[in-house]
Amino acid sequence: MFKWEKLGRVFNPLNVTGRYWLSEFAQAPSTLEFEDFIRVYFSSRSSRDINNQFVSYSSYIDLDKNDLFKIINIANKPILSLGNKGSFDEFGTYPFSPIRKGNEIWGYYAGWTRCESVPFNTAIGLGISRDNGKTFEKIGKGPILSYSLNEPFILSGPKIRNFNNKYYLFYIAGKKWLTIDGKPEMSTKIRVAISEDGVKWDKQNTNLILDKLSGDEAQASPDVFFANDKYHMFFCYWDPNSFRKTKARRIGYASSLDLINWIRDDSKAGIDVSEIGFDNEMIAYPHVFDVDGKVFMLYLGNEVGRYGFGIAELKGELI
Amino acid sequence: MKWQKLGLIFDPTKHNLPHNCFAFAKSPQVIVFDNFIRIYYSAAEKDTTGKILCRVLYVDFDKNFKKIVRHSDKEVIPLGNLGEFDEHGIFPFHVYKDFKHIKAYTTGWSRRKSVSVETAIGYAESHDGGESFIKLGNGPIMTANVNEPFLVCDGFIFKEEDLYYMYYIYGIKWSKPSENEEAERVYKIAMATSNDGLNWVRDSKCIISDVIDENECQALPTVVKFGNKYHMYFCFRDMIGFRTDETKGYRIGYAYSEDLKKWIRDDENSGIGLSEFGWDSKMMCYPHIFKLEDHIYMLYNGNEFGKYGFGLAKLINY
Repeated sequence: MFKWEKLGRVFNPLNVTGRYWLSEFAQAPSTLEFEDFIRVYFSSRSSRDINNQFVSYSSYIDLDKNDLFKIINIANKPILSLGNKGSFDEFGTYPFSPIRKGNEIWGYYAGWTRCESVPFNTAIGLGISRDNGKTFEKIGKGPILSYSLNEPFILSGPKIRNFNNKYYLFYIAGKKWLTIDGKPEMSTKIRVAISEDGVKWDKQNTNLILDKLSGDEAQASPDVFFANDKYHMFFCYWDPNSFRKTKARRIGYASSLDLINWIRDDSKAGIDVSEIGFDNEMIAYPHVFDVDGKVFMLYLGNEVGRYGFGIAELKGELI
Repeated sequence: MKWQKLGLIFDPTKHNLPHNCFAFAKSPQVIVFDNFIRIYYSAAEKDTTGKILCRVLYVDFDKNFKKIVRHSDKEVIPLGNLGEFDEHGIFPFHVYKDFKHIKAYTTGWSRRKSVSVETAIGYAESHDGGESFIKLGNGPIMTANVNEPFLVCDGFIFKEEDLYYMYYIYGIKWSKPSENEEAERVYKIAMATSNDGLNWVRDSKCIISDVIDENECQALPTVVKFGNKYHMYFCFRDMIGFRTDETKGYRIGYAYSEDLKKWIRDDENSGIGLSEFGWDSKMMCYPHIFKLEDHIYMLYNGNEFGKYGFGLAKLINY
């Protein structure tokens, strides 16, 4: 089992004021390294409208490289605009995942639309930043990865990586909308697509991670990190049949030598809920990154990040 | 070009349709069998919310179109499951006979909140001679992409020299005239190509020029080859006012091409237009052209988007 030492909560969105798009929640953290700081992109919810509905935006905070608890900058506007009427990203751009490509930064995000019979649907869009990651311009009005024969809805949770000169987009695809206590709950599975240029994607059309709970298991946040000749995936999972009662989501783990075939072994994950504090019910949406040889994990606490995200440091090696 | 109208041949309100379908026979499309003509169409049922669900049925005619020999007793393809792209209806249903295989390119409807609907194109095959269709998957084969933001639908297949061409439409904008009005859509005809009929290459170009204005809506292309040219019929309308103002509703448009790619619009030579009186005097839409025993026919819908069925016309001069 890996050993993660929890260092505490890095960011609590409730401490931020004066930003309409950052009213509640800080979800799906993902990092990009700069010379002096680590930029953490995350997604938050706007203040609610008269129907108690919100939209999701992505933005960032910058953390001092020498002290990751020191926030040296908070974005003063969202990095992506919402889509026009009827577009796939009219009601949210969340989650978000960045990667450097030459002088540009490319950002993959899930766009949200609202539906009648189910609460929402999502597809994956792409924006490009030419101002060092402060704002991203969409390459088109539609998504770059959307529904297909065997991925009928909810393409979300993109995590972009480059390994061996190829782009890998890990994401989730909806398998089924369940009806639990009269309400729709989604079952989603972790998938991958491969690309030479980051624009045209070749879906592999296979579930990467075997279910542990049941066929309905929901999986999210497939975060892949390369270390010691192996690919390590931390992700989160839950049971959509009982989630609303238990409020439980947990972090799972799998490893791979080729990025396609994964062996799940949650017993190695090495991180779980705390006894008290902001992460005592839930621990979810992991993101692993390294700074100067040290490996860290950002993760969400209770209520899927309503009270922000924490950080843990790896003690030992990912092997 | 000259079409002779043969009149209304099917009125769904005069039949007991399955699934509580009460009216509409939209987008009639044909498979020619040895002894009869099967016409698939989308009929409408009201669901528990009072909104319409389109279901695909068929009616079989004798080869003179004089007599109905059979009607389906249930839908030929089920609507999608909760949250799927075709949960709230299938319309149009384009059937295509590829050698011996009967294939269907469906347009699935799913309802949205800020706009009324989103659509995408699905694929199904029949293994029982066109009686029923099985979807290849629960999702679509063609949906919004980076340059086609929404409303991908109305696929029509034309095969030439082992290459599949799909003429279809996609949405370019949703526009809300005022706060109290519903958002209205604008869509245009485009073309995709494929080697297998499943994986499509799109360049997202609008291939038919507008005659009304930039907000012209173009729908349901159908393509046929005769006289050394390719001919496309489709319907088009204004963005606003098309439901009630008969000068703004659907009419039949026409274009021709020598290479299937570059199209020249030529509505004046379409050879067919609104009747002075009767079932197709206010609107004509959803044309479908087919060949039968050396003749070329067009099925189409009339007033009120085909609420009272479809009629037939025969090409008599070109």
